[in-house]
Amino acid sequence: MKCKLIMCMIVLIISSCGVKKNDPDKNEVVLTLGAYTVPKEVYHKELIPDFQKYWLGKKGQYVKFEESYMASGAQSRAIAAGFEADVAALSLEKDIEHLVEKGLITHNWKKRAFNGFVTRSVVVIGFREGNPKQIQDWIDLADKKISVLYPSPKTSGGAMWDICAIYGAGLKESEKKHGKKDYGYARELLKSIQKNVRVMDKSGRASVTTFENGMGDALVTYENEAILRIKSGRPMAYIIPDATILIENPIAVIDKHTDKHENRNVAEAFVEFVLSRESQITFARYGFRPADDECAKEFVTQYPVPEQLFDIGYLGGWDKVNQMLFGPDGVWSVLISELANEK
Amino acid sequence: MKNNGMSETSNRNSEYALQGISFFYIGLLIILPVLAITVEAFRGGVSNLWQNIVQPQAYHALILTFTIAVMMTIMNMITGTMTAWVLVRYHFPLKNLINAMIDLPFAIPTVVTGVMLVLLYGQQGFIGRFLEGHGIQIIFEKPGIMLALLYVSFPFVVRTVQPVLLEMEPDMEEAARTLGAAPSRIFIRIVLPTLIPAIITGAALSFARAMGEFGSIAIVAGNIPYKTQVASVYIYGELESNNPQGAMGLSVVLLLCSLFILVFLNIIKNKNHEYKKLF
Repeated sequence: MKCKLIMCMIVLIISSCGVKKNDPDKNEVVLTLGAYTVPKEVYHKELIPDFQKYWLGKKGQYVKFEESYMASGAQSRAIAAGFEADVAALSLEKDIEHLVEKGLITHNWKKRAFNGFVTRSVVVIGFREGNPKQIQDWIDLADKKISVLYPSPKTSGGAMWDICAIYGAGLKESEKKHGKKDYGYARELLKSIQKNVRVMDKSGRASVTTFENGMGDALVTYENEAILRIKSGRPMAYIIPDATILIENPIAVIDKHTDKHENRNVAEAFVEFVLSRESQITFARYGFRPADDECAKEFVTQYPVPEQLFDIGYLGGWDKVNQMLFGPDGVWSVLISELANEK
Repeated sequence: MKNNGMSETSNRNSEYALQGISFFYIGLLIILPVLAITVEAFRGGVSNLWQNIVQPQAYHALILTFTIAVMMTIMNMITGTMTAWVLVRYHFPLKNLINAMIDLPFAIPTVVTGVMLVLLYGQQGFIGRFLEGHGIQIIFEKPGIMLALLYVSFPFVVRTVQPVLLEMEPDMEEAARTLGAAPSRIFIRIVLPTLIPAIITGAALSFARAMGEFGSIAIVAGNIPYKTQVASVYIYGELESNNPQGAMGLSVVLLLCSLFILVFLNIIKNKNHEYKKLF
């Protein structure tokens, strides 16, 4: 009796870890999207239903979506550890590169329209309605009386963009004043802002929530996140600093999984679909800057290009930034221990 | 006769089967994962592991965790014993309800505990606003961590001390009273020695709980390295930033700590009477 019961349990457990495979005879195909959390609304409410309609009209086949939204790094690791996503839409280039290293993506994912990026944004400074602390630029966040929020770069890709934005803005400013990049000045700027950071949440979202719960005078975050919150009626406002970083979010088809699921044509079509003009406009409506330059021109009043906008290449690319800022001897890692000793 | 023998062997067989299944289950569910992390931790070599523990940020997180856990445990020993005493020795209205409430912290998901504390003690909270006006900040600072740990571990001491108090024979106390001993003296010389093993058991369990607590602290602490970052949140951060080896150091320390506590508790249980002799 007992043995039978245990056998039953084992069979149940094994059968529940079954393998998915698409049946070509059936008029339905399953596509698994592994994405980061920020664009959840736009994928779930707009782009996926749009694509389903498009594919049904074109091929007469229903696309059933399985969607997973997690922090970008966690999503990348989940996919690497066996979560069989067909398409990865992540926040950071390095999270896609991680999948390349693991041998899951075998094609050159950058060889696509807009270099493999699907959306853009910039890092902005959010503040309380009416701007009671008169925050205009990065330097205002260095003021001792201001308390600042951004998440921890250990857990949040967003925080890495935030810190890069501040550091790079310091370089830009010194370049404008003295004609060359002053790394010492950029470091001091980052240090005096970090000194005012009271809470480092797990994710960008969590950081906004902490801000809305009344903590902090200023919040460093994505432009699209700020727009989303303001749209949903939360009392906050933001400015785009003159010098800030251009965020680019990648998307890629995962070769190994689409081969296994035999749905590569659908996965490719979906990626092309979200890069299409129509979808780029949808992204723009949800607070993202289009990756399509032509499309971006139409939205220039809504998304003005800051005078001294720079991209990650200005800081030497992600590999260099990971080492220079966030590595064990990196600028950020060292200054945070200096701050601990100062008090 | 023959029949009897048959059922005896089949009884024994089913006993073996039952034991086998239990051991297999414990091995699979509990021991195997612990082994997995231990092997993983030592894969990079002992010196590497040690480097990851003494790395300043990790070391600070560990010390902070220890310090707060010790303070909290002492607090729990006092308040927990007091609560158990009140619940056992006094009669008052709604006693059953209050008794049932003690276990509430175990029933609430710890993330929710974090949210509740932020709602109450945060900057927009009822108490938080008042304290803020007096220059005291709890949430996102060390007192917040302490508060969260006190909340999640409150039931341990109460629930270990309570049954001992209930079973205690009143004759010793009565004898002492008739001999003219003061109530405080009776408590210290007679009641407390009986309670000590139970108090220590509860304290050790709350300490182990405090070392590993994550959910509520992740919400309530500011997570600033060297200031308000505890061990479990540090481990999470290292894992998330793709540095599993960095996370292993503290994981092993927390694991060894808990293991030590469990062994220590078993010793107490076996040598109960020797502890009584101490007083």
